[in-house]
Amino acid sequence: MNDSTNSPMLLIGIGGAGCAIARGVSRAFGDGLRYVLADTDAATAGEDEPFLLLGGDRLSGRGSGGDIVSARLAAEDSVDVLDESLEGVRLAVIVTSLGGGTGGGATLEAAKHLRGRGIPSVVFATTPFTFEGEARQQNSRGVLSMIEEEANASFFIPLDKLIGEADNMDEAMRRAVDTLASAVTLFWRLVEKPGYIRLDTERIRHLIANAGRGRFAAVTVQGLDRAPEAVDALARAPLLAEGSGPVRAILCGVLAGEDLRLSEVGKIANGVRTAFGEGCAFELATVNDEQTFCGRISVVLMLFEANGKDVDEPQTGSAIAGPRRGRKARNPLATGPQGRGRFNNAEPTVWNGEDLDIPTFVRRNINLDF
Amino acid sequence: MTSIYAALEIGTTRTVLAVGEAESGGRLKVVSHAEIPSSGIRKSQILDINQVTQSIRSVLRENEKNQLAAGNAVTIGNAFLVVSGQHIKADPFQGQAQVAGAKVGAADIEEVVRSSRKMALPRDRELLDIVDQAYGLDALGGIHEPKGMSGRILKLDTLQIHADANRIDDARTAANDAHLEIREPLFAATCAAEAVLGEHERRNGALVLDVGGGSTGFAAYADGYLSHAGVIGVGGDHVTNDIAHAFQTTQAQAEELKRREACAVIGASDGEPRVKVPGTTPLMESRTVSRRALDTVVNARLKELFLILREKLEDLDLLHRLHAGVVLTGGGAAMRGLDTLIQRELGMPVRTGLPVHVDGLAEVRHPEAFAAVAGALLYAHRNYEEKSLFQTIFGGFLK
Repeated sequence: MNDSTNSPMLLIGIGGAGCAIARGVSRAFGDGLRYVLADTDAATAGEDEPFLLLGGDRLSGRGSGGDIVSARLAAEDSVDVLDESLEGVRLAVIVTSLGGGTGGGATLEAAKHLRGRGIPSVVFATTPFTFEGEARQQNSRGVLSMIEEEANASFFIPLDKLIGEADNMDEAMRRAVDTLASAVTLFWRLVEKPGYIRLDTERIRHLIANAGRGRFAAVTVQGLDRAPEAVDALARAPLLAEGSGPVRAILCGVLAGEDLRLSEVGKIANGVRTAFGEGCAFELATVNDEQTFCGRISVVLMLFEANGKDVDEPQTGSAIAGPRRGRKARNPLATGPQGRGRFNNAEPTVWNGEDLDIPTFVRRNINLDF
Repeated sequence: MTSIYAALEIGTTRTVLAVGEAESGGRLKVVSHAEIPSSGIRKSQILDINQVTQSIRSVLRENEKNQLAAGNAVTIGNAFLVVSGQHIKADPFQGQAQVAGAKVGAADIEEVVRSSRKMALPRDRELLDIVDQAYGLDALGGIHEPKGMSGRILKLDTLQIHADANRIDDARTAANDAHLEIREPLFAATCAAEAVLGEHERRNGALVLDVGGGSTGFAAYADGYLSHAGVIGVGGDHVTNDIAHAFQTTQAQAEELKRREACAVIGASDGEPRVKVPGTTPLMESRTVSRRALDTVVNARLKELFLILREKLEDLDLLHRLHAGVVLTGGGAAMRGLDTLIQRELGMPVRTGLPVHVDGLAEVRHPEAFAAVAGALLYAHRNYEEKSLFQTIFGGFLK
């Protein structure tokens, strides 16, 4: 772990590309970023970097060979090492790239581990370019919904949409890493360097507790009409164009220098609401950082397909951990005490002190988006 | 002489009867089968003997009808009983015998087998099966054929499967009231394994998961023998009950939602985002529920079930020895997305268990749901082959 900071927010880069993205954020954000890199390939480790080698005994630091199962097992073997980096952490952000082995497999185990420790996680994961071939697409598709179940909020970013046309593969990959690193850096600044309308780690924790899958984009504009131009750019952003469900909540971060005008914030907030979800929950935050954003406005937009409320506490007792959906379960039906329903008169099935005849979603406080 | 056997499974959601006939070449053919919805059962346990008796009568009649339609009906007088439920347990027990001479002989093996059958069960438990696992000789274990080997103490590891005697008696009573004699009670999961597992799977390690309405039975094979077995008291009915509770539906509506629309993996369905729930009466309007919410309810329940199973397998040191993967049987095996979820949670390949070791079920829509009764017929065929037709059935051929 990078010990230079006591930030409650930890950035975890997983896999080769994930580590590259995290490094990019580290370079752009500068001092104060708390981060750790993790990979099954020992060659990923750089000098003086907080690096965790996953599955050292199993894979001998040679990488997972693109095998998600090997990567999962490797991560299972050594995910406890992550605990050393989690002291005081209230929110973890994982950056990774799906398609290979470690990105998918180890991210899944890391998200599961964080969940078990009661630490909400946000995953930013790229999915492969079409030109990378069907095998990598399948690897990505296979693990995507599993990660979604374990993470509190997840953003899957198709590289085709992030980069569009590219001349060659190396250039496309480099641009993808840079673009995502820039966007995550903006998100980091939003939380770590709050302005007049604050959005700190605790607020983010509550917002993403049960956020589910989301869409994410960041734009930067300058000039006299920068506020409407930012909204236009967001409305046209390919990454925000299609989701897997309706938008239920919006998080909009406006980052600018001292010249940010109130009217500009209003235009952006109203424009975003109109473009992406009138009537849905809306959270606004601002950052005033003259040194970084002088003359420019950056807008970070997160569209969530569910709206979170509470955060899970760490699990104790039962080793069985259901999917994390932090909000209280709705209990709209009277099917007997606590929903035992047809099992009211039957001998209960008890496991680790829990009555398994009571619906799992009730016992696990899983909220249902009706 | 033709041998005919019948197997009866009184499940939580359905009562099944299958009749098998020995064929030339040692194979067995299912010549008739019938199934009807069960009543009077909760979580694989009888709550109303009269209703269960009625179900057994109905399934016997249904089977006769099917036989008549085929032109060769029989009236079944006795049957092997396939049982499940969380009252079923499996305990290891080791028999030991001093080797009489310098090398292990046939008499030593007989002695150790006798010794392995001496486990005393409480009076309220009924033995369902004793499965021989492997021999040991002094400190050496995992021996398949000890004859001729040198050593002092011969051991035989066994797995003793037993059930609540009262629950078995209830089933016997219900069957007797329907004029059906119960020959032997057999454990559903090991019966299913008998019908679906290949020898190579037993050697490489495989888990048979018999997903029923009231409970889920499992039989884990490693190194060629049954290593452990058991039942978790959670089945398809729990999924149905959870759906009913979540969406304010009747149990019947919830069952329909489960069968037609639900998927064990969230977000894996291609269907419309909202799912129609018909009204319970013609005057009541239909409504819709979120498919994602439906799948979330199902996923939570089944994921929990497989995490429990995973924990059990880890405790038994079996999780990483089941290289041939999971074989799914039972009425709940057809749940959409179940194979994917199991693959994720247990980290091993999954296949549907078709009863390949018996003939006559090719036309059945979900043959995996008949795996347990098919396995019971196979068991009967292998252990009672010499019994005559008239010992096995009552009434004989009507034709």
